[in-house]
Amino acid sequence: MSISEDAASTRGERLVFGENLAPGKFVGLSFKNGLLNIVTLTLYRFWAKTEVRRRIWSGVSLNGEAFEYTGRGKELFLGFLLALVLVVLPLLIVVFTAQFLAPQLAFLIILPVYLVLFYLMGFGRFTAFRYLASRTHWRGVRFALTGSPWRYAWSYIGYMLLNVITLGWFAPAAQRRLAAPLWNGLRFGDREFKFDIDRARKVGLYGPFTVFWLGGVVSYFVFMGVAIALAGDMMPKTASEPSLAFIAFVYAAILAWAVVLSVLSAPYQAAILRTLAAGITLEDARFSFKVGWLEMAGLVLTNLALVTFTLGFLTPVMEARTAKFLIRRLRSEGEVDLAAARQAERGPRMGEGLADAFGMATV
Amino acid sequence: MQARFHDGLTARSLPVEVTVEAHRLSFDADGETHVWSLADLQIEDLGDRLRLSHPKVGDGRLTLDAAAWRASGGGAGLKAERRHQKREARLVVGLAVAGLAIAAVVFIGMPAASGPLARATPPNIEERMGRNFEAQLSIAFRPCDPGAGQTALAAFGQRLEAAADTPFDIRVRAVQAPMVNAFALPGGAVMVTDDLIALAKTPDELAAVIAHEAAHVERRHVMQAVWRSLGLGLVLDAVVGGGSGAGQQAVLLAGSVADLRFSRSAESEADVRGQQLLEANGLSSQGMAPFFERIAAKGEGAEAGAVRELMSSHPDSLSRARESAARARPGAPAFTPAEWAAIRMVCQKPKRTLRQILKNPLGD
Repeated sequence: MSISEDAASTRGERLVFGENLAPGKFVGLSFKNGLLNIVTLTLYRFWAKTEVRRRIWSGVSLNGEAFEYTGRGKELFLGFLLALVLVVLPLLIVVFTAQFLAPQLAFLIILPVYLVLFYLMGFGRFTAFRYLASRTHWRGVRFALTGSPWRYAWSYIGYMLLNVITLGWFAPAAQRRLAAPLWNGLRFGDREFKFDIDRARKVGLYGPFTVFWLGGVVSYFVFMGVAIALAGDMMPKTASEPSLAFIAFVYAAILAWAVVLSVLSAPYQAAILRTLAAGITLEDARFSFKVGWLEMAGLVLTNLALVTFTLGFLTPVMEARTAKFLIRRLRSEGEVDLAAARQAERGPRMGEGLADAFGMATV
Repeated sequence: MQARFHDGLTARSLPVEVTVEAHRLSFDADGETHVWSLADLQIEDLGDRLRLSHPKVGDGRLTLDAAAWRASGGGAGLKAERRHQKREARLVVGLAVAGLAIAAVVFIGMPAASGPLARATPPNIEERMGRNFEAQLSIAFRPCDPGAGQTALAAFGQRLEAAADTPFDIRVRAVQAPMVNAFALPGGAVMVTDDLIALAKTPDELAAVIAHEAAHVERRHVMQAVWRSLGLGLVLDAVVGGGSGAGQQAVLLAGSVADLRFSRSAESEADVRGQQLLEANGLSSQGMAPFFERIAAKGEGAEAGAVRELMSSHPDSLSRARESAARARPGAPAFTPAEWAAIRMVCQKPKRTLRQILKNPLGD
């Protein structure tokens, strides 16, 4: 086969996603990771996360070729150490000295610290995505995220404040606005993704969000009312320590409310997936998610059960089945000349330190 | 053997024919012959397919059929697999050692260093910290109203302070809380709950408990506990991170169990020193033994819940009762009968008549 023939046969491909993920096969890995985490005082978690990602990535394919995750546990570990020394420890020192040495001024010192924390969360989110992109290969070519994490962090903190001021009602708009720079900056090799926010807006978010918000507020007051009424009888009268039954009751109430919230948020979560997919393009390829709210609720509830009842041990299984759920519902139309993509520059040397420090999960 | 080659420069997918020889594999792509040594070959299992890469080739990848690869001498992959397992075993051992070292610092080093650190902490810093603690605590532990009872308790604190070698004002106060306990804060504040006062049968018993807390202040055990829990909390939280995965919860739980307020040796030291402070004032030091005996008995009886808090922060009541009985000396009671009567009433609000309630509904 000559080169020109080969090039012609691959020019302009439709994107077809596939997966051969078997969540059950992640059970063994879950236990191995969980036990090694305990033995190493959780220091193994960076390598554990890397192995889970490697296996999920290689279980997902595009046009018959599996993705590849090339990240290393060591890179995540170094990123964590760096974030610890440069950010977390200085912030903790500032907060503690403020509280102990000048309690009257503590408020003045701690408020800016919280603003810095919000800023760093946005920064951490962007750099975590940048690291993930740079460690994702397909047909030997890696992804890359261009753009400024500093500017992203400013948007992030701005939207967070707007969110607080509007009692959460800015959140749906913020979802798209925060996704835009991540997808506009994404490259496969030298091919550029774009995020068309107007196209994304065609999938409405405020309807499902209203259901979630109102339902959340109403159910909160209902649960608090019921809990206080029931807890009144169970509250210990003289003893200082609450009884076991009372503790069990509190946990059961929190779990029940989490179930209600999961169901209420399912339409909104599904709509977020649909609106983001609708906005993304790669040359002539467009994307769509076929996700209904009922199946979304099913996924969220089963994931909740899987993680809470195993105290987090089966988190890798949860991640694998979530990836499976998403890939099976991801469609694409239109063609891209993938073969013409040229290799991207190497990405950052360390990864995700800040995101890890703030407990932010990105798969 | 059929394979697809991705050269790592573009995303072209080239069909190639791979030949496996003794120590290498080779194939032609774009009229160029590629030779990869089998020694460093990395093999990723994709189910029925394999993805081969080679550190010297960089981003280049070969994907091929797993069965065909095994048929053509794919045993070479085993070596790389064994190397990988060895590397992981070394990593786990290294991390476990690091984890143990951190645990040793947190659970052994920090408690050992907390004593010298506490003694080196300038008193004015401890005082400021104490005021901050007090402000936060006063929400849960409401101070009882001022009156003769509080005055008697405060005066007793000053007598202990005079005998003690401490830069702090020992400020004793009764507070309202649904538990039997007494505790010292950084900087010299000592709080006694109304339930503990109710449980004490004689002035000697109450005086012994307060003197014990005053000894904690003098020996700076409070500051020591602050340092220890700071080290425990900060280091553990920082190392374990903010996630919620498996193992993280287990480690954090172990940390909270280890964070008991004072060590056993600090409690014994405070017992001995507390009795000395009483004796220096010519007071009886016989109150501690009966009080702790009663606590130990209650720990199994009907009021078990009420004293459990005190038991958990003051362990081994019975053995300590025996030791303090052996050391105890008679002396004057710490409070006059009038003072004692006032202290017994310190947290009880006078009964209000209907007329008083109508005149002043909030009762202050």
